[in-house]
Amino acid sequence: MKVLMKSVDMICISSCEGVITPIKFRWFEDGQEPKIIRIDRILDRKTEKLAGNLMLVFTVQSIINGVERIFEMKYEASTYKWYLYKL
Amino acid sequence: METYKSGNRIILHIDVNSAFLSWEATYRLQHGASLDLREVPSVVGGNEESRHGIVLAKSIPAKKYGIQTGEVLWQARNKCPNLIIVPPDYSLYMKCSTALTDLLYEYSPLLERYSIDECFLDITESLREKSPLDIAREISNKVKSVLGFTVNIGISVNKLLAKMASDFEKPDKVHTLFPDEVPKKLWPLPVRDLFMVGRRTAPKLYRLNIFSIGQLAHADPEFLTAHFKSFGNLLWRYANGIDNSPVNPFSAVAKGIGNSTTTPFNVDTEREALLFLLSLVETASSRLRSARLLAQVVSVSIRKTDLSFFSHQRKLLTPTDNTEVLFKTARALFREFWDGTPLRHLGVAFSSLCNDRFCQTSIFEDERIYKKKSLDSSIDAIRLNHGNTSVVRGSFINSGIPPLTGGIIDDYPGMRSQL
Repeated sequence: MKVLMKSVDMICISSCEGVITPIKFRWFEDGQEPKIIRIDRILDRKTEKLAGNLMLVFTVQSIINGVERIFEMKYEASTYKWYLYKL
Repeated sequence: METYKSGNRIILHIDVNSAFLSWEATYRLQHGASLDLREVPSVVGGNEESRHGIVLAKSIPAKKYGIQTGEVLWQARNKCPNLIIVPPDYSLYMKCSTALTDLLYEYSPLLERYSIDECFLDITESLREKSPLDIAREISNKVKSVLGFTVNIGISVNKLLAKMASDFEKPDKVHTLFPDEVPKKLWPLPVRDLFMVGRRTAPKLYRLNIFSIGQLAHADPEFLTAHFKSFGNLLWRYANGIDNSPVNPFSAVAKGIGNSTTTPFNVDTEREALLFLLSLVETASSRLRSARLLAQVVSVSIRKTDLSFFSHQRKLLTPTDNTEVLFKTARALFREFWDGTPLRHLGVAFSSLCNDRFCQTSIFEDERIYKKKSLDSSIDAIRLNHGNTSVVRGSFINSGIPPLTGGIIDDYPGMRSQL
């Protein structure tokens, strides 16, 4: 996996219990049509507090360009932003 | 190591290694940076265009090039042409510092935030089954794995020795300095390394043939008092590892509130200098009011273009938090001691603070003081709701001087010289 740290538009569920689950995201690559990727499985979720900055880190699985891929997504609580972290 | 069992306190001093730089490095790594700033020659430096261009923190590889904190950036760049310079981000530092103290509170409520990157923690009551060394190692590992930066921890029976211990070898180390270790670990060090011995005191000690902390510890305290007054006795006590100051969780209460700024250009007219003073008083007095304090002493400081420093202070008849009264006092002080030479730095500070709920009034007090008070509080409220520049004084228009200066962020804990 390579570190990308690209910000993406995300649709996610924020449950009554306060659990955040990513569903699908839109990813703009330079000069290309936006890609819409549906998250099929969440393999792992953890919180990260590096430099006092709270982030949720998800290891997820999706089909990208017809190939099943495992990658990581990050949610930054202070800015409400989603990132495609590693692919 | 036996000392801690005999009813002594156990104090940890936790010091973040190259704080500003490692916080910036960790933040960048979290955001996908491939380069760890801590592993290459890099510094956190101010903006050179606005003449704040000095080294605020350096990486360990940068230190190997002889780069020092406080040095001008172009000098640092001469020593290392490939130096990476990153701008400071005080809100990030505040966040990191708060995250560190939150983690430390899990070990003891007796925590004193000594500065933005240093804390004292009294763990005497939290020891139970564990030894102080185990707790310190646990804290060090936890900070590294959870927060992503490294700390040095000093362990001893008082704040002074704990602070001296955390300074021994860096980075990411735990050191003990119990009283029985003082002759072996503390006394061989040069006297300049002792807390409170700075660039002014050290040469005076050298003239007395005192070069190591051990020599200072063995000097006659009366001889030192004759040369340095009560400070001599304090130095002798520190050299012997004696310090009884408590870990005070409430020490954040300010002894003084002040603001200062390095001006973007040399100030050579009185009007410009007074505008800078006014913009500093605006922010400092609003901080006084938000902390619900009144000040009785006003001091003004200036630094000339040759870097010489002067200050002047005056006590008011009655304590106040009024912008106008404070500015008029600062203006009078400034006029008394400025000789017209160009300035590069101006500062104001308010001290002898007291609570604003009870204070001595004066029969000589300006009868319009209540009108002024309500004007101040209205301006504060408007600025709070609509931004700092929503109401500004007309005198600043087209002056090129910001109407409010200083006060980087709220509650930024500065360094203190007292334990």
